[in-house]
Amino acid sequence: MTKEVGSFQDNIRRTFIRYSLVPVAAIVILALVIFSFSWSYFQAHYNKQDNKAVSQELSRIINIYYEMVSDVEDSFLEKDNKVDQAEVFEILYRRTAEFGEIGNLIILTPAQQVLFTSKDHVPGYLTSHVYSNWGVWRNIRDNQGQTSTILYEKTLYITKGIYDGDELRGAIVYAVPGEVAQTAISGQSRYIIITDSNGWIYASNTKKLQDAYGRILSSYNTGTGFKKIDQSFYYSCKTVTGKGINVITINDITRSMWLIAILVGILTGIFVAIALITYRSTANSSIKYTKDIAKITDAFEAVQNGDFDVSLNIDSSKEFKIIGGDFNNMLNGLKDQIEQNKELAENAAFSQVKQLESQFNPHFLFNTLDNIRFMAKIDAKAADKMIVSLSGLLRYSIRDVREEVTVREDLSNIQYYLNILQIRFNKRFAYEMDVAEDIMDYLIPKLLLQPLMENAVKYGFAGQEKLTVKIRGYQKQEKLVFVCEDDGAGIEEDKLLEIQKNLSENADSSQHFGLYNIDRRIRLMYKGDYGLDITSKKDEGTTVRIVLPKHKEA
Amino acid sequence: MSKRIRIILLAIVFFIILFVVYLYKNTDSTAENVDKLVVVSPHPTEFVIPLVQEFETETGIKVEIISCGTSAAIQNVINDENIDVLWGGSLLAVGPYKDYFYAYKTPNRDAFIEQYQSVEDEITCFSNVPSVIMVNTDVIGDIKVEGYEDLLQEGLKGQIAFADPSKSSSSFEHLVNMLYAMGGGDPNKGWDYVEQFTNNLDGKLLESSSDVYKGVANGQFKVGLTFEEAAFTMLKNDKHISIIYMSEGVVSTPDGIYISKASSRIENAQKFVDFLTSKDAQRYMASDLGRRSVRIDVDASNLVIPFDDITSIEVDKYLVMTRKESWLESFMAIYGKEQDD
Repeated sequence: MTKEVGSFQDNIRRTFIRYSLVPVAAIVILALVIFSFSWSYFQAHYNKQDNKAVSQELSRIINIYYEMVSDVEDSFLEKDNKVDQAEVFEILYRRTAEFGEIGNLIILTPAQQVLFTSKDHVPGYLTSHVYSNWGVWRNIRDNQGQTSTILYEKTLYITKGIYDGDELRGAIVYAVPGEVAQTAISGQSRYIIITDSNGWIYASNTKKLQDAYGRILSSYNTGTGFKKIDQSFYYSCKTVTGKGINVITINDITRSMWLIAILVGILTGIFVAIALITYRSTANSSIKYTKDIAKITDAFEAVQNGDFDVSLNIDSSKEFKIIGGDFNNMLNGLKDQIEQNKELAENAAFSQVKQLESQFNPHFLFNTLDNIRFMAKIDAKAADKMIVSLSGLLRYSIRDVREEVTVREDLSNIQYYLNILQIRFNKRFAYEMDVAEDIMDYLIPKLLLQPLMENAVKYGFAGQEKLTVKIRGYQKQEKLVFVCEDDGAGIEEDKLLEIQKNLSENADSSQHFGLYNIDRRIRLMYKGDYGLDITSKKDEGTTVRIVLPKHKEA
Repeated sequence: MSKRIRIILLAIVFFIILFVVYLYKNTDSTAENVDKLVVVSPHPTEFVIPLVQEFETETGIKVEIISCGTSAAIQNVINDENIDVLWGGSLLAVGPYKDYFYAYKTPNRDAFIEQYQSVEDEITCFSNVPSVIMVNTDVIGDIKVEGYEDLLQEGLKGQIAFADPSKSSSSFEHLVNMLYAMGGGDPNKGWDYVEQFTNNLDGKLLESSSDVYKGVANGQFKVGLTFEEAAFTMLKNDKHISIIYMSEGVVSTPDGIYISKASSRIENAQKFVDFLTSKDAQRYMASDLGRRSVRIDVDASNLVIPFDDITSIEVDKYLVMTRKESWLESFMAIYGKEQDD
């Protein structure tokens, strides 16, 4: 797997984003979630709590009435199915004392005749025969001696049939005063609806949430939980009290949901804005903070491209300042080192050149001295001339340390060597000098031409009587060219290939060192496309060509 | 991604999951599996509530009521499989659609008045509803109204509340009543009267039967052509109205209870029919709600005059059913012509 290595600036920027945006996003989301969580928890919790309170209160009230009805029944039975007005009123007042309203307690015979009423009026549906098995009376009969509740004509009745075995002896009906339930649900901030088991509303603190028939809308009457009804949100809680009464508490949380939605929207907006701003500003600040790194990178690149004159000037922070200073020191050290190396190399080249130019072929010396001895016997004058020439030549070769001499100078000193050759080979050796006058003042390596002569003589005489050597010198553009031609025996082909190979490889060889020396010296002294090449043909002669840069003494 | 960020993300995901689970637990999706019955009815709310309440407490079956006009109620039953019972609508109005209803013969039929026993099984008669003229005694002034003839008076022009007979079944009853009563027993001869009557409507044709009785009770109209029970309910609510039984003759057609063939709660629907035709319910209805019972053993309320004192007209039920469409067309044609004039 290859992973692209990002730039330091990108990494810094990513770090900025990661350590600013991600924690902010995380905290915001976390805060929202926790907020929503606790908000909905408390909505549900307080709703349930209120619901429980109302249900318990209602149950408590209804229980009081149940006990009251039971007391009245006891009194009725004690008095042998007769009503003791005073006693019933006493029970009624005692039990309803806390509500401040006695309500309508009615005692009826099975034939629907009124035996007792605490309010001087009895609804027709309790006395009319039409209702003998309808509404309240049906409830009395259906519940055979059990106390029960029924909502009829918007009034909550607590009923009890007084039975002797299967025979109905009388009926106690108590109409719960409407204010009692209203008091229990008033002062609540949420909707509270009290219904019978079929959803018909008995008491409610709102006109909403019910249909045209006075029944709670069925969608609100389905248990406890969050609900979405017609674009509105609710939390509703339902308690079935077991006394035929249901308590439903409903929170309209639509507005809160809107607020939360707006809150989320605003937070998201702010977050997006922060994200955008951070994204933009990190681009700038990361460039700013990594400016020094960029400087360092540029400096290293410059050095790599060969520019040693750069310097790092950083003063933004201590660390980078140290790095910059160290870099500069290092670069200076490097520059000195390179300078030294160059000098050393030049020195080495110089000494090598010196060594090379001082190499005379010992054969030449031996031959010349042998000739001088011989000449001394037959021609003292010639011997004398040879000694003078040899000593001139030696003096020239060892004289002063200059590596370069003018063409004129070298030519005049080569004359010593030519003299020696002339005496030695007499008429067998001839030479021509054809050096252009306009190159006479240019500089060439000392003893450049002598080895050429020596080489021509060495190979040219093999098996033939006469040898003519032609030396030409001329300038060609910015170069000096010297050509040494002879009409000698030429060089064997194998030998020539070997020489050419050795020349091209810059290799050293003990033989032909004259030519190699010249080539090596030229290459060491002059950088560029300069040097020596040799061509030869068997029995036709050899040509050596030297190319040098054209330059004068400064 | 660094380890720390992963931990934070995990925490967030954990909280979100917790929240979703909490919401899910608290979202009430329990479709309450209660025993229920869906009833569509053109009856007034005041009429429906006590009967439904009593049915619910007696059987424990919860009744959902959809309130609308007769024609719409029929269409609802045909189009909505969820509706179990059509409660209300006269035999004449619903009869033509009897193929959509379920045949059921309630055991209470034996106690029915002879003529209501013999109707088709798809129809169970519920009550007898005479057509009446309702008069607002506060605004009528000196105008005397005893029958259809009196409605043609100049003083009542534009003061008669009458609903579109194609939308309200009680209005259609009145149209039939007019044709028979004013045609002297031959409905074809009654159209002259209808033309004059339409003329006196002065372009006012109401949308539903409730607009008629409410309109009169509110004093918007001096008289209205409606049905006995509606007028009775207004009377019971202390509205200053009086009920006029047309001197030319009163057609009274029973209305019924009809179980939808598409119902999936046939058993509950049958209980509902049994309940509404029971003696207790019929007795309550007759005494408190002003409807005449279909049972022999239940007397009419003393708030309405006995049936024997009303000039009654018999109609040919089948003729009316077959002619319904053409009569409605004729009426609209006459009414439209009056408008153009």
